[in-house]
Amino acid sequence: MRHHPILLVALALAIAIASATSASAARADEPEPRIFLFSGFGTLGATHSSESMADFTSSSLKPNGAGFTHGWSVGVDSVLGVQVTGNFTPQLSAVVQVVLEQQYNNSYAPAVEWANIKYQFTPEFSVRAGRIALPVFLVSDYRKVGYANPWVRPPVEVYGLLPVGESDGVDASYRLHTGELTHTLQGMYGRNDVKLPGDTGTAKARGLWGISYTAEYGAATLHASYFHGDLTLDSFNPLFDGFRQFGPAGIAIADKYDANAKLFTFLGVGAMYDPGRWFVMAEWGATDSNSAIGNRSAWYVSGGYRLDSFTPYFSYAQTRADSNRSDPGLDISQLPPYLVGPAAALNAGLNAILGGLPVQKTLSIGARWDVVKNVDLKVQFDRARLGSDSPGTLVNIQPGFRRGGSFNVVSATIDFVF
Amino acid sequence: MSRGNGIGWRALGLVLGLFSAASAAEVVAVVSAKSAVTALTKNQVADIFLGRASRFPDGEQALPVDQAEGSTAREEFYSTYAGRSPSQVKAHWAKIIFTGRGRPPEEVANGAELKKLLDRNIHAIGYIERSSADSALRVVRVE
Repeated sequence: MRHHPILLVALALAIAIASATSASAARADEPEPRIFLFSGFGTLGATHSSESMADFTSSSLKPNGAGFTHGWSVGVDSVLGVQVTGNFTPQLSAVVQVVLEQQYNNSYAPAVEWANIKYQFTPEFSVRAGRIALPVFLVSDYRKVGYANPWVRPPVEVYGLLPVGESDGVDASYRLHTGELTHTLQGMYGRNDVKLPGDTGTAKARGLWGISYTAEYGAATLHASYFHGDLTLDSFNPLFDGFRQFGPAGIAIADKYDANAKLFTFLGVGAMYDPGRWFVMAEWGATDSNSAIGNRSAWYVSGGYRLDSFTPYFSYAQTRADSNRSDPGLDISQLPPYLVGPAAALNAGLNAILGGLPVQKTLSIGARWDVVKNVDLKVQFDRARLGSDSPGTLVNIQPGFRRGGSFNVVSATIDFVF
Repeated sequence: MSRGNGIGWRALGLVLGLFSAASAAEVVAVVSAKSAVTALTKNQVADIFLGRASRFPDGEQALPVDQAEGSTAREEFYSTYAGRSPSQVKAHWAKIIFTGRGRPPEEVANGAELKKLLDRNIHAIGYIERSSADSALRVVRVE
């Protein structure tokens, strides 16, 4: 069953190549724009990691990947997306995008990435309602479209800060020109339920609002965003319900670390300069969770040089924990003997969460080759070093895994759009 | 010896220069002769064709029109005005299409079709080899 979706990606790739090599039909005969536009994108990838006691993957929302589970994993980077855009009137349009990729439960069930209706009041002002992309980072909107990105995948250190790409709600976008500078201001409000891997339930974001600002001047782009919402992680409840049995000291710990509608904030800034022959880009982001998932920050710099259809590139990324990665927990010495065991278990549970905060640095080098006009091929090598006593961004950690080490990842992908 | 090499390099540069001039005829941005647009900056032209601007600087709506994919005029235009190769332009639109934020310019098959369209629509802006421009079109002065 698991291989069927990959066959589908391969089939889509064949269609993409066929459409690229066939002569494009003359379009002058159809002066009226079509109402429905069908388009798609995909990546067929293979990824290998040298760390065999844990899995490397592209998103913390995936249950496994390359290393322990697979010698070479196709699930890390492979994806297929199809999209239908309906342009009903010059003002009213709708978009539905369905994406097939490895899910939290290891299935490849199709998921609705976005589905929204847009009303373009003026060429500068539009409002959307439905499932909408969250413009968190520079490439968040199209992070799954490998063809539109320079790398095999956006740096996991930074894009993993907020692994969620969409929200159900409304947004408004306003574009303004001052001289040759284009400003785009976007405000959104919504909610989101994200299913987490490994029986850890659902992450619920409520009252999620955010603003994003983009300035473009010729080859330069500047982006800043701020998001703010109430985050609930039901899977934490049994642990912190346990702490609450231990009087004021336990309640204080539970209140500090639980995730019941806790305020979660994100701030990010990024810049890109792409005059054509070469590009450089850099981003920084920070999250503040008011819970056991901690406060984190991350940044990367990346650049590449285009030699005809061949683009070698590099990136350097790092993520760190800005909050404590351990806690003494309940004071066991003050407890009657029959409570020492349960209290120690709770302390261990809390420290397992805190100690899981990723601290990691990765240097990546790779190359993109534009094969035909809508297909590219990429190879990438990553050298990752874990912070002392941290599992980094690895998932599916096995007994015997050594924290604080380093590992290498080798990836090859074919990206296409049609 | 070194002097001889210097001349050799200069001669090579001249030959390469002539070669690239011959292989790439100049492509100019054009609007209808009835349009009020006379001059734009390179960035303004690029913004209109890359979907960043939907109006001319005077506030009038701008309707960019592409020539056929793979045509010399199209490749030359994006290379000159936006510094982008066909793959880079494709990747640019992939970013916009797959977030539902817009769609690429309408396409015409060739320069003759472009002239017909510009004659009908004063909002349209296209590009053509300078030698093909005639009195029905206005070549946009690039500042």
